[in-house]
Amino acid sequence: MQPLANITPLKPAGAIEVRNVGQIFKTTTQDVVALENVSLDVKPGRFVVLVGPSGCGKSTLLMMMAGLRQQTSGTITVSGAPIPEPDPNRVGVVFQEASLFPWLTAEENVEFPLALRGVAKGDRRGRAQDALKLVGLDGFGKRHPHELSGGMKQRVSIARGLVQDPPVLLMDEPFAALDEQTRMTMGDELLRIWAATGKTVVFVTHSLTEAVYLADEVIVMSPRPGRIVDHLQVSLPRPRTYEMLSGDTFGSLRDRIWRHIRKSA
Amino acid sequence: MSAAALRRLIVISLIALWEILPRAGFIPELFLPSLSSTLAAGWNEAGEYGHALAVTLYEIAISMAFACGGGILLGAIVGSLPRPRILIMPMVSSLYAVPLVILYPVFTVWLGIGSESKIAFASIYGFLPTMLATAAGIQTIDPQLLLAARSMGATLSQRLVRVIIPAAIPTVLSGLRVGGALVIVGVVVSEMLISSAGIGYLISRYRTILDSPHVFAGVLLVLAMAVAFNAAIKWIERKAAIWQTGTRAGQRAAEEIAPTALQPAT
Repeated sequence: MQPLANITPLKPAGAIEVRNVGQIFKTTTQDVVALENVSLDVKPGRFVVLVGPSGCGKSTLLMMMAGLRQQTSGTITVSGAPIPEPDPNRVGVVFQEASLFPWLTAEENVEFPLALRGVAKGDRRGRAQDALKLVGLDGFGKRHPHELSGGMKQRVSIARGLVQDPPVLLMDEPFAALDEQTRMTMGDELLRIWAATGKTVVFVTHSLTEAVYLADEVIVMSPRPGRIVDHLQVSLPRPRTYEMLSGDTFGSLRDRIWRHIRKSA
Repeated sequence: MSAAALRRLIVISLIALWEILPRAGFIPELFLPSLSSTLAAGWNEAGEYGHALAVTLYEIAISMAFACGGGILLGAIVGSLPRPRILIMPMVSSLYAVPLVILYPVFTVWLGIGSESKIAFASIYGFLPTMLATAAGIQTIDPQLLLAARSMGATLSQRLVRVIIPAAIPTVLSGLRVGGALVIVGVVVSEMLISSAGIGYLISRYRTILDSPHVFAGVLLVLAMAVAFNAAIKWIERKAAIWQTGTRAGQRAAEEIAPTALQPAT
């Protein structure tokens, strides 16, 4: 009989642990330290935004959480286990701009990760339609990406990231290529989807307004070498509204992030 | 009037002029025999032209298989692996600038004046643009698409079948369009130079005896083959690459490759 105390408790689904992570890019001339001693805890169901200037390693950190890149040192666990390679059952990823396959319809794009796993056609179609409904694209499944607007394409990308129902959704500047109005709408849409699904979201952006508007917590990073310089809790109530953007709380949070970024730029 | 209707009108008037000008005596029949006498010449020697057409089509089919198959295979290797690319690409690019027809007499020495030398020449002639287009098509695949596929857990072979091949199809097709046209050029030109059969041989033989209607009957057959080939490629493009309108890669490759392919054959 093994004593019960020896059994490690299963970490809750959707938790992300980053411990003393470093990343060094080797080039022919020199080694570039992209990330140095980064530690971070993301609790299940939280909306966490990584923000910082170009080259601070925020996207690199996200790619490591997705299993698309391996850290040089330290450990990363997602839902309690390391992530040595991409695992769409644990982590869905949404990329910058359209990473949709142009030769597939919206529906087929959403089905893509299921098709890779050999899920039966009928089952696939049903789940893709549910995911498209969730992101507000009911009835657009038969269109090709070039027949969709920028915002609609990113909705399809989100549906694709969610179709296997992973507890974690990682988003790498998903709205960077959209115009300001679409971007605001998509922010509200994302918050609605997040509230409806209860996913853990880690969201990378350049935009301070977007960061504060969306997040429970904002992680501010600085470059050379990439590291975390601040970790803010956003106390604004939910649902977030457009009026909050001009409030004092919003302004002081944004100023605080801006001061960090100005210092490192 | 729509552009298509205007185009049709121009073609019809050209055909009409072809009939009228020689008949009315504005152009001597030696320079341009009328359409009707050209068709009559072809019809009277239908057996001879039929046999020549069979020889030429056979040579084109084999050359097409070599040029397209080899071009796609080697283009895929060169496009996806950096080391062969560095080794091979500079050679291929400079070879592309050489008028390859200078090699044809050498082929006839090696392979004789039968179909083999034509096939060898036309295959190499059509191979180059196909290979360059395929390599370009694979090199220009958006790395974001491959990253997305990997994030969804796609294995290497799944990425090849589900991402790389469909993404490269439009560029490869535009290479086939140019490569296939050059195969036809290569076969007919080599038949005209040194040969004993085929449409090119007939054109060349009737030219030496100044029999213009029979020369033009051969020219008409070559034209028909080129038009048929173009229609076939267009049909394949429509079937295989409906989404091409949504991407610029295919369009761009077609523009890049077409002008360089217009080098004179002889």
